[in-house]
Amino acid sequence: MSRKSERLINLTIALLATKRFITKSELFKTVEGYEGSDESKERMFERDKDDLRSLGIEIEVGSFDPLFNDEAGYRIKQEKYQLDLGEVTALEISLLSLAATAWQGASLDDAAQRALVKLHSLGIAVDDANLLDSVPAFSDAGFDLPMITRAIAEHQILEFTYRNFDLSEDERRIVPIGLSTRSGLWYFTGVDQSIEEIRTFRFDRVIGNFVIKRGPKGFETPENFDSKRIFETLSNTGAVIDVRRGKGASLRALASSTKPLGEWDQIQVPILDMKSLAALVLWHGDDVYVQSPPELREIIIESLKDLARAHG
Amino acid sequence: MVKKDARKATNPLEHTARLLDLVPYINTHQGISLVELAEVFEVSADQMASDLTTLWMCGLPGYTPLELMDLDFESGYVTIRNAPTLARPRSITHEEGVALVLGLDVLRSTIATERADLIEAISSLSHRIADLINLPLALSATSNFSPQVTSLIADAIVQRGGLKISYHSLYKDEISSRVILPLEMIESQGYLYLHAYCYAVCDFRHFRVDRIQSAESAEVERPSSAPAQTPEKIDFELQVVRPTRDVAERFEQGDLQAGDIFKGSSFSQHWIARSVSAAGGAVELLSPAEIRSELANRAQSILNRYQG
Repeated sequence: MSRKSERLINLTIALLATKRFITKSELFKTVEGYEGSDESKERMFERDKDDLRSLGIEIEVGSFDPLFNDEAGYRIKQEKYQLDLGEVTALEISLLSLAATAWQGASLDDAAQRALVKLHSLGIAVDDANLLDSVPAFSDAGFDLPMITRAIAEHQILEFTYRNFDLSEDERRIVPIGLSTRSGLWYFTGVDQSIEEIRTFRFDRVIGNFVIKRGPKGFETPENFDSKRIFETLSNTGAVIDVRRGKGASLRALASSTKPLGEWDQIQVPILDMKSLAALVLWHGDDVYVQSPPELREIIIESLKDLARAHG
Repeated sequence: MVKKDARKATNPLEHTARLLDLVPYINTHQGISLVELAEVFEVSADQMASDLTTLWMCGLPGYTPLELMDLDFESGYVTIRNAPTLARPRSITHEEGVALVLGLDVLRSTIATERADLIEAISSLSHRIADLINLPLALSATSNFSPQVTSLIADAIVQRGGLKISYHSLYKDEISSRVILPLEMIESQGYLYLHAYCYAVCDFRHFRVDRIQSAESAEVERPSSAPAQTPEKIDFELQVVRPTRDVAERFEQGDLQAGDIFKGSSFSQHWIARSVSAAGGAVELLSPAEIRSELANRAQSILNRYQG
């Protein structure tokens, strides 16, 4: 095992140290560890290349001499190999260390720790400024998180079965563009391929597994998409709701503005989902009153009629 | 932080990655003890010694002492010379970048808005890392809550015990300490709320779980005046009118069909009444009869206001 690692390290060093492309035959002659028949050396080299790539090391393939179309050559560019975050300050290292602690006990804990080792290798004295005692921890996502983020980075298609509002199940095909977590729940956002619109899904409403497919050609992330905004106003229309003073804390928590009106406050709430906002309004009973929009009032009125009829 | 058991370097790729990352680390931590180095890389001291021996054999083609790395660790302290090609840390991988960007975002959500300096530093870092892994603007995480708090709440609900919480109030932007009797957890529009009796205001309140900064169990007397602390759970029976996901999740039911009847129980008649209201006619409460008639009356009186 350590012979294999040794050969991979030597190959990496040789490819990093060279300015020009070096050919396979040069590598076999000079890099320690390539033994056996030509064929077995070739096989070894192919595997080694794949292995280095899977470690995230980019190997460039190019022509040894642009004038002669002869044997292919290889090299690793230092700029691509090295961590390049621009200038990193001591404060930033402290912030990153804190950020990594959020993963304790959750799925990306190891990855976060490995990243920290690399950052500490920059040799920047860490400023242990008393920033925060602790960072809230991530809940375990319960799905293969890097699989989803890779699908986002590579514009792949995710196919899955989703439980709808009315409990029916739908097959969805989306190109994922965002991943977010809030209050311990995980969400992903994507462009639904059948309606060409952006939709957000909750992971725990996905039934079974994801199937990854090659993405559509020339896919581009919709302009102005920012996953930080998916819980903010998706549309410009907000609801105007009267809330009795001292009541309706969970509705107030969503409010974008509040105007006092004596015994009542009038709040503006962004509408993410009309049905779940209606449920929240109904939950609060006579402590809230919807002024607008008419669609929301309509849902409330119909629901109240149903409730009164069913229980009367 | 609790260190995990030293991992065995069984996988040659993991091993290679570790060797590559060792060089820049030693380079900036010259003279570090072998034991400490083993801890940083989460391996045993023996494994670290073996790693260093392997590295010692590596270098530039030629492999004469001039081209090999000059590693010294016999004294138990590690130094490295002559390793310029590997001297700088490797770029972060996709997974590592995802972990950092999401971690930074959670961190940002917990920092007070007046620390604009920190928020700016976090945004800048997060952009730089997200660009490295080709995920600009794709990841976000906000105000998650501590697992200790949620498990304490869950216990308190089951055992009907009190909790002393420190709560960050969004409106006043201050942290207050209050004693509460937790009743139910409610999810709405992406937030988790705790429905509880609050002794500070002698009334029922909803607390956003992510704003509960810490919690500990507390001795409480059950509030006597409010209707929700009937000492026994209230049994209820519901009939499904229209199966909805909201009903399935709120009442923790799996498969629902129109016409199905299911039972449940709750300590809070408020919770029962509000939950049935929130379902907006998708379920009908069959019993208890008092809540049923109260529901009808209340729905009618609110309706009068809308139609008045």
